[in-house]
Amino acid sequence: MLKAIYRIAWKDVAGDLRRRATLSSMLFFAISVLIVFQAAFEPDRKEALRLLPGLLWATTLFTTLVGLGRVFQAEEEDGAFEGLLLASVPRGVIFFGKWLGNLLLTLLVEFLILPLTLVLFNVDAWSHVPAILGILTLGTLGLTGLGTLLAAMTRGARSRETLLALLLLPLTAPMLIAGVQAIAGVLLQNGAVEPWLKLLIIFDLVYLAMAPWAFGWLVEE
Amino acid sequence: MTHTPRATPPPADHDATPPVVIQLEGVHHRFGRHRVLQGIDLTLRQGECVALYGANGSGKSTLLALLATLLTVRQGQYRLDGLDVTQHGNEARDKLLFVGHQTHLYGHLTPVENLLFFRDLRGLDLPESRLRQAIDTVGLAKAADKPVQWFSAGMRKRLALARMLLAHPRLLLLDEPYSALDIQGVHWLNAILTDYLRAGGALVMASHDPERVAALPHRPHHLARGVLSPMPLPQPPLPEPTPC
Repeated sequence: MLKAIYRIAWKDVAGDLRRRATLSSMLFFAISVLIVFQAAFEPDRKEALRLLPGLLWATTLFTTLVGLGRVFQAEEEDGAFEGLLLASVPRGVIFFGKWLGNLLLTLLVEFLILPLTLVLFNVDAWSHVPAILGILTLGTLGLTGLGTLLAAMTRGARSRETLLALLLLPLTAPMLIAGVQAIAGVLLQNGAVEPWLKLLIIFDLVYLAMAPWAFGWLVEE
Repeated sequence: MTHTPRATPPPADHDATPPVVIQLEGVHHRFGRHRVLQGIDLTLRQGECVALYGANGSGKSTLLALLATLLTVRQGQYRLDGLDVTQHGNEARDKLLFVGHQTHLYGHLTPVENLLFFRDLRGLDLPESRLRQAIDTVGLAKAADKPVQWFSAGMRKRLALARMLLAHPRLLLLDEPYSALDIQGVHWLNAILTDYLRAGGALVMASHDPERVAALPHRPHHLARGVLSPMPLPQPPLPEPTPC
């Protein structure tokens, strides 16, 4: 089963790196958002430090949406999704493969935009980079988990990207608040990190436990 | 096109009556209010081939999709090797292989990578050399490392059929298998399918091409308005009258 999960994720990541389709769109989108925010607010260092958590999560959310819009694109060619459903593995394995591929691409973008954000906003938070990346990773686990399920749900819809955003944004709002507060706690050193991390872990567990089951139910005719 | 590996299923028991592979009893299917299949009964044993004929929209592809577990049997019963397919979907999928109108290939991957993907999702323990051998057998050796998106429909079909050389399924389901194949491909496919049936495989195919199916030992069935009925067995052509 692990081999099947790996192979589905490998197919998505290798395919995307070859076609430079999703990753380049996500990166371009993330950089555009950062530049617009910088031009609009022109924050000083202190203000930038306060804005940073929200800015990082907003960028993460938007770029995740771009990635999720294309997560099942390769499966639309030549009945490939049907081919996946013919595999003799539990439906949850297919879900985890698709989720892992999407997670890796999203994390790659996050890891690239964090240093760029710090440079662009002239924030001296380099010592907190590992902690921020850890929190972003923790939040992205659940965000992409729920997002992959919703992408599967909206796969056949005509305006699937709008529908995906409409469904994902309200459902992940509490998780995003927890993510913002956790990074703010790290940056402002106010000690309020642990409860938000616990909340993020709970969301991850709930989304990643529920999504594979719901995916199996969803793809059955 | 070389001709080495065969799409042989697991070894058959050579009893007087071969075991039943699939059994459909009173299967109905509908899309909304539209009834597509009505009271389908079908028994297929090891080494048998059923060819489905019928006009467009008669339900051939729906019946194959049901057999492939892509659609759920909601009314009636479908057993594969004695397993209730509704309850044991994963086990059933492990025993069958479906090649439909669409080839289920990824355009950005090469033939080798597509077969690696198939191997790992099917849980097959095969080295890459075995996959390359299958690609060679279907005549795609020169294109083994090129992305499939540049392939013609016939090349894609050949690659899709290469999977059956690797999977050794108990049940093979083919929807219009001869479409997009050239004459050489048709002969190759019929040779592979004949071997597969001799080795105890079971085959259901939908076709509009009885002349090409005639090369295989088969039971023809006709599907009209969702009702499946056996057809008379094809007769060998009459000999040419000799001049007096």
